[in-house]
Amino acid sequence: MKKALLYTTTFILAAGIFSCGKKLDLVNPQSIDAGVIFTTDSRVKGVLVGTYAVAGSSSLLGGDAIWMSELMASDGELNWVGTFPDPKQIWGKVILVNNSYVRANYQQSYITIFNCNNILANLSVVNTADKARVEGEAKFLRGLAYFNLITFFGEKPYSFGNTALKGVPLVLDPRPADPLSIDNFVERATIEQVYTQIIKDFTEAETLLPAKNGFYANKPSASLALARVYLQQGKFAEARDAANRCIGTATTNGFALVGDYEDEFNTDVNTTEDLFSMQVNTQGGSNSCFTFFSTTTYGARDGDIQVTDKHLAKYAPNDLRLDLFFEEVNTFYCGKWRDAYKNVKVLRLAEAYLIRAEGNVRLGTAVGATVSSDLHQTRGRAGLLPLAAPTLSDVLAEREKELAFEGQGLLDVKRLKLTTDALPYDDNKMVFPIPQRETNLYNVGQNPGYF
Amino acid sequence: MRHLKLLFLVAMLFCCHLAWSQAKTITGKVTDSKDGSALPGVSVTVKGARTGTVTDADGNYSVLLPDKLSTIVFSSLGFETQEIVVKETTVNVSMGSGESKSLNEVVVVGYGTNSRREVTGNIARVKGAEVQGLPVPNLSQALQGRAAGVFVESQNGKVGDGIKVRIRGGVSISGNNNPLYVVDGVPMVDGTLYGSGTADINFDDVESFDILKDASAAAIYGSRASNGVVLITTKRGKAGKTRFTVNSQYGWNSPTNDNRGFLNAAEYVEYFRTAAINAGKYHFNRAGNWRNYASEQAAINDMITYVEGRFTRYSGGADWRNNAVDNDWEKQAFQKANTGQVEIGAQGGNDKTKFYISGFFNTQDGILVGNKFGRSGVRANIDNEVNKWLKLGLNLSITKISRDRVPDDNQFTTPMQIVALAPITPTRNAAGVLNNTPTTTYYNPLLDFEYGRWKLESWRNQGKIFADVNLTKGLVFHSEFGVDLTNQDEDRYWGPQTLTGNVSPDVKGVARNQWFRSNRWVVNNYLNYQNVFAEKHKFDATLGMSYESTKNTYTYVEGQGFADEALQTVTSASEITGGSGDYNQDNLVSYFGRVNYTFDQKIIVGLNARVDGSARFGKDNRYGFFPAASLGWVMTESEFMSGATWLSFLKPKVSYGITGNNAISLYQSAASYNPTSYARLPGFAVGNPGNPQLKWETTSQLDAGVEFGFFNNRLTGEFDYYIKKTKDLLYNRPVTSISGVTSLLSNIGEMENKGVELVLNSTNIASKDFRWTTSLNIAKNKNKVLKLDGEQTVIRGDARFANSIVVGQPIGIFYGVKYAGVDPANGDPIYYLADGKTTTNDYSLAGTDFIIGDPNPDWIGGLNNTFSYKGFEFSFLFQGVLGNQVQDGAGGFMSASADWFDNQTRDQLNAWKQPGDITMVPEARLNRFGDFASPQISSRYVYNASYLRLKTVTFGYSLPKNILNKLQLSNARVFVSGVNLLTLTSYPGWDPEVNTDYRSGNVNQGSDFYAAPQIKSVVVGLTVGF
Repeated sequence: MKKALLYTTTFILAAGIFSCGKKLDLVNPQSIDAGVIFTTDSRVKGVLVGTYAVAGSSSLLGGDAIWMSELMASDGELNWVGTFPDPKQIWGKVILVNNSYVRANYQQSYITIFNCNNILANLSVVNTADKARVEGEAKFLRGLAYFNLITFFGEKPYSFGNTALKGVPLVLDPRPADPLSIDNFVERATIEQVYTQIIKDFTEAETLLPAKNGFYANKPSASLALARVYLQQGKFAEARDAANRCIGTATTNGFALVGDYEDEFNTDVNTTEDLFSMQVNTQGGSNSCFTFFSTTTYGARDGDIQVTDKHLAKYAPNDLRLDLFFEEVNTFYCGKWRDAYKNVKVLRLAEAYLIRAEGNVRLGTAVGATVSSDLHQTRGRAGLLPLAAPTLSDVLAEREKELAFEGQGLLDVKRLKLTTDALPYDDNKMVFPIPQRETNLYNVGQNPGYF
Repeated sequence: MRHLKLLFLVAMLFCCHLAWSQAKTITGKVTDSKDGSALPGVSVTVKGARTGTVTDADGNYSVLLPDKLSTIVFSSLGFETQEIVVKETTVNVSMGSGESKSLNEVVVVGYGTNSRREVTGNIARVKGAEVQGLPVPNLSQALQGRAAGVFVESQNGKVGDGIKVRIRGGVSISGNNNPLYVVDGVPMVDGTLYGSGTADINFDDVESFDILKDASAAAIYGSRASNGVVLITTKRGKAGKTRFTVNSQYGWNSPTNDNRGFLNAAEYVEYFRTAAINAGKYHFNRAGNWRNYASEQAAINDMITYVEGRFTRYSGGADWRNNAVDNDWEKQAFQKANTGQVEIGAQGGNDKTKFYISGFFNTQDGILVGNKFGRSGVRANIDNEVNKWLKLGLNLSITKISRDRVPDDNQFTTPMQIVALAPITPTRNAAGVLNNTPTTTYYNPLLDFEYGRWKLESWRNQGKIFADVNLTKGLVFHSEFGVDLTNQDEDRYWGPQTLTGNVSPDVKGVARNQWFRSNRWVVNNYLNYQNVFAEKHKFDATLGMSYESTKNTYTYVEGQGFADEALQTVTSASEITGGSGDYNQDNLVSYFGRVNYTFDQKIIVGLNARVDGSARFGKDNRYGFFPAASLGWVMTESEFMSGATWLSFLKPKVSYGITGNNAISLYQSAASYNPTSYARLPGFAVGNPGNPQLKWETTSQLDAGVEFGFFNNRLTGEFDYYIKKTKDLLYNRPVTSISGVTSLLSNIGEMENKGVELVLNSTNIASKDFRWTTSLNIAKNKNKVLKLDGEQTVIRGDARFANSIVVGQPIGIFYGVKYAGVDPANGDPIYYLADGKTTTNDYSLAGTDFIIGDPNPDWIGGLNNTFSYKGFEFSFLFQGVLGNQVQDGAGGFMSASADWFDNQTRDQLNAWKQPGDITMVPEARLNRFGDFASPQISSRYVYNASYLRLKTVTFGYSLPKNILNKLQLSNARVFVSGVNLLTLTSYPGWDPEVNTDYRSGNVNQGSDFYAAPQIKSVVVGLTVGF
C-alpha cells in the first residue's frame, strides 16, 4: 500500500513537470498581435478608424489644439480663471518645458503621424476600390497633425520670413519595431520643409478623397485645409483658389451653411456646414473645449475660460452671434462649447467663404464670387446688412467674429503679425517649448527662450 | 502509543526511533501558563535521541527517556519551546507564549516549519496574540513598528486601505514592491478592483506572521520573493474540551490632527484685499500693463473691485464686510466616527479530529465624511487523522468586506479638498441646501456625500484541503489544493446635485456598477524527508512542485439620465454610456527544493532553490532559477564557549541568494494593437510595443548576522547586515513619441539596498507577580539607484511633484528647483541658479538639478514595553521614522501667497510686506492675469517628516482564577487600547505619515496632496473564555 502511494506520488510529481510548460503561452484576449495588423484590408482600415480616435483625442483635435491656440492669442479677450496651472501658463505665455498639455499635444501628433505612415506603407493589402480613399484620409490626417505641430512648435511663424529655421521632425515612413532605435531620433526639419510636406499631403488628399465620405475626411475638407495653410504662408491666390474649389465641391454635394448660426454648434452629428469635425458622443470621443469653456450648469468644470467685454464689444449690438455667449453671475462664456458630448468642429464651410473673400479682396479679384457676396454669407446669417464695398479690415473683422474661439486665434496672430497681450507675433513666448521629455531623450533642439 | 508516534511524525516533522534500552518512563502534564488549561498536541522529545510523543487531549504525556540522556524538549507552535533536565519521573510543564521572541520557538518557513535555533535565514516573527484586538482594519497596519526592517506606511487616513509595506527597502521601480503574502501555504491574489487584499483577513484568526526577509529564507518563493514574504498561519484546534472565546470592543476614531490652520474670515478678506493691491501694482509696474490701465491706482482699483466681487459671490449674500460668516471648513471634512467589533471562536476536538471555528463582525467608521469599513465572516480549520499514515485537513474562510469610499485625494469631490473653500462662505444657504459653485470657490465635496453613494462590497474565500501521507520512516508526502476567490462589486451613484451627476440641464444623475472576480487555484505537492544519522547528522530535505493559475474577470456598466432621485441603479438610466467586459489569465509553474543539514546541533547548512516558469515573462526568458545558501554556527554548543556562562546563545550566520520580482503586468511581452472606437465604429490603436526579452527583476542578497542570548536568554537579539542588489529593473522607459509609443517596458537599471537591523528582546523583570519585558527593533536602509538604461541618469517627476529617479540617489528622490526664499527688495519668490549660490526671480531660469529632499527614511524602529502585575497588564509601542521628507503638492494652492482664491494656510500671514523684509513667504499677490509664474515645484514645499508616534497603548486586567471559577469562565479580560494617540513631528501638514493615494507608487513616495490625517482610535474591550 505504501509503496503504491510512493509510486503514485512520484508519478504525480513527474507528470506535473512535463505537463505544465504550455500553460505559459497565454495571449491577451483584449488585443491583437502587432505582427498581423497590416495583413488584411479590414485591419488596415481598422487602424485608419483608430487614427481618427487618436487625432480626436482631447490633446489634439478633440479640443486642446483649439483652446490652446485661443488662450495664447487671447489678447485680453479671454480670461483663464481656473486652478489648473498648465493652461494658465499657456494663457500667460509663461510656459514651462514640462507643461503636460504641451507634451500631450506633441505626443498625440506624432502617434497620429505614426499610424498614417503605417497605413500608407501598407496600402497594398487594401481593396483596390478603397485604396484612394484610404490613402487620401491618411494623408489628410497626417497633414492636420503636421500643421498642428508647425503652428505650435515651429521656431518662428512662417510670416517671419526665415523659413530655414527649425520646424519639427519630419517622419514619413514606418518606424522600426524597436522603439529604442536611433532611427527615431529625428532632427527637426526646416519650417519650409514641413510646410512643403503639409501642402503635398493636403493636395494629394484633395485629389484622392471622394466629395462625400460620411464623417470621415472628404475632398472639400482637404481643399479647405489646404487653403488654411496657404493663408498662413501669405499665398493668397493659392488660398483663394483652394477655398473656391472647396466651395465648389461642397455646394454641389449637399454642403451648405446652416440657417441659424446657433444651430452650427453643440451638435453630435455633422451639420451640412461641417466639412470635417471630430465625432463626440456619450460613447466616445472627447471635447476638452467643453471642459474648459463651459460651466457647471452644463456639467463642465467651473467655467475656467471667460470671455471679456473687450471681445464682446467687437460685435454690432444686433449681431445674432452675440447670442452664442451666455452669462452666469455677471460673467460671459463662449456658448460654442457649451454642451457635453458634442462634436469638435475642425473645418466648416463658413471659413472657405471667408478665405475666398480675403484672397479676392487682397488681390482685387472676384474668383467664384464677389467679396461682398462671400462676406454676406456669414454676415447675413448673423442678421447684418450687406456691405457694398468691403475692405480687407472688414473681412478680417468678420472673420474674427464668425470664427471666434474655434482655434484660429494663434493662426491669425501669426500670419497677420498681431501683437497679443503686449507680445509681438514672433516673440519666443508665442511658441511652445519642445517637451522636456523629448529633449531629455535626444538632441532634438529646443526653441529659443526655453531651457 | 504507536499511533501517537505516527501522528507526531507527520504533524511535527520530527523523527523517532523505535529502538531503545534501559529507559525509564517520564510522565507529566503540560498546561498553558496563561490560564492553567491543559495543552494537547505538544511535542515532547528527548534531546539527543529520536524518541518523542505528543500530549493527549488532557495535556498528559508519557515518554521513554533512554539511559544517559536527561533532557526533554517541549515544543508547540505558538509557544516558547522549553528544555527541561529531568530529575524526577514526573515532569509537569507550564508553557507560555512569551512576550519576548524566543530562540527556541518554532517558526514557519516556506513549505514547512523549523526551530528558530536551526534557522539560518532572517525571519521576523510576530505572533497573532501580539496584535489581537488592535483596532486597525488591516493586518499590515497591525504589524507597523513590530518587526525590524519592515516599513509600514498608511497613505492617508482613509480607513483600511492604501498601505505600503517595504521589507528592507523597495527593489523595483515599476514592479510591485509589496511582499508576497502567503496564507496557510496559498499565495494571496493581489489584484483587486480596489482595496488592499490584506484587509480581507481577520487577523484575530492568525496564529503567527513569519516575515521572510533575506534570500535564504525567501528564495523558496523564487520569482516573487525579492520583496520578502509574509507567511500567515491561521489558528488550528487543539484536542480537548471545546473552548469558547468571545471578544468584543467598542471605540472612537478621530483624526490625528484636525487643525492644520487656515485663515479665518477676517484674515481671508484682509489678505486677499492686500493681494489685490499688490497684483495691481505688479501688473502696472512690472508686467508691462498690457491691460492698459490708465494709472497704477486704476489697476489697483480694478483689482480690488474684482476681489470684492469675488467676496460677494463667495459669501452667498452674507455680509462679508462684517464677517457675518466665519466658516471653519477644515472641520467639516471629518465626521464623528465609531468602531466596534465582536468575535466568537470555538476550538476543540479529540485525538482524531480537531477544529477551530470563528465568526467575526467588525465595523469602523472612517474619519472622513462618508468613509466606512466593515468586515465580517467565518473561518473553519479542521484536522483529521484518518489512520496511522494519513492525515487530512481543511481550511476555509469566507470574508465580506464592505467599504463606503471617498474619492482620491486629487479630486475636487474628496472631503479634504473642502479646505480650499473660502471661510466667508456658509456651508448651506438659507434653505438649508449645501452651497455649491459659484457661491463656493470650488465644488463643495459634501455634495458627493449628501447626494451620492459609493459602496464597494467584496467577498473573499480562501481555503485549501490538504493531506499528509507518511510514506516511510521520515518521509512525508504533503499535497494541498488551495483556492483564493475574490468577488467585488462596486455600486456608485451621483445625484443631480453632484459634479458628475449634473451631466447637462436635461440629463441628471449618473450610476456605475463594476464587477470584478479573481480566482486562483494552487496545487502544492512536496516530499519532506527528515532523519538523523549517527546521532549527529540531521537532515531535513524538501522537494516539490507547485502550479498556480489565476483568472481575473471584470465587467462594468455606466449609465446616465435618471427620471427620479429615488432611482439610483444603472437599470433606471435613460442611456448607457459606458461598459466593458474582459478577462485575463496568469499561470505559474514552479519546482522547489530545500536541504538543511545540521551537524551536532552546531553547524547548520541550508540550501534551497526554486525554478519559476511564468506566463508573464517574454518568450526568450520563460524560466527563472533562484538559488540560495546559508551557513550558521551555534558557537555556544561548542566546548570552548562553555566557560562564558553569561553568554547563553551565540549564532553567527551568513546567507546569500538570488530572488526575483515577477510583477510585470500581464501580456507585456507581446507587441499588440488594442481595440478602440471612433464614432461608434471599431478600430485599432497602437497597444504594447512588446519586448520578447522581458523577464523578472533579479535581486541578489547577502545577509550576515548574529543571533545572541545573554544571561540565560533573559536578553536575546539579533544583528544583521544586508546588501541587496537588483538588476534587470523593469522600467517603462520613455521613448520618443516619434516611435508611435511613449514608453517601452524594459529590463534596465540596477538598484541597491543596504542596511542594518537590530532586534533586542529583554525580560527586564520576571518575578512571581511582576513581569516587564522590552523589545526593540531598529533598522537603517539605504537605497540607491545604480543604473538606468546606461544613457539617462535622471528621470524627472511630473508637473506637481519632484519625485525623480536619479542615478546614485535613492528612488523617488525630490530633485529639482531649490527655493531661496523671498527677494527682500520686491517680495518675489527667488530660486537658486544652477551654480547653487546666486538666485533668480525667474523660475524658468532656476537651476533644476538640486536634491531637495528624500522621501525614504534613514531609520525606522519600534520600541515595545509590556508590564504585567498579577492580572494587570500594560503595554505601549512607540514607532518612529527618521530622516525623510515630504513634499506638499498642494502647497502651490493652499500656501501660495494668495496666488488664487483658495483659502490659505496661516503661515502665509508671514508674507513679505515691504522692502527689507526677510521672510520665506513671498508677497501676497493675486495672479489674476497670469502675469507671473504661479508656485511651481521647488523645495519651498518640501518638509522634514520624521516622526515618533505612540502607536499603540493597551491597559488590560484579567480576572483572577477564583472569580473565574465562580463565574464558570476560563478567562476574562477587560482592556482599553489606543492607536496613534500621540505624534511628535515638525511636519507642518496634517500628518507626516502620508503618500497621497492618487499617485502613490515606488517612485512617487512622500507626497502630500490634501491627504487625510491618520486615524486615532481608542477602544474598550472585553474578552471572555469559557
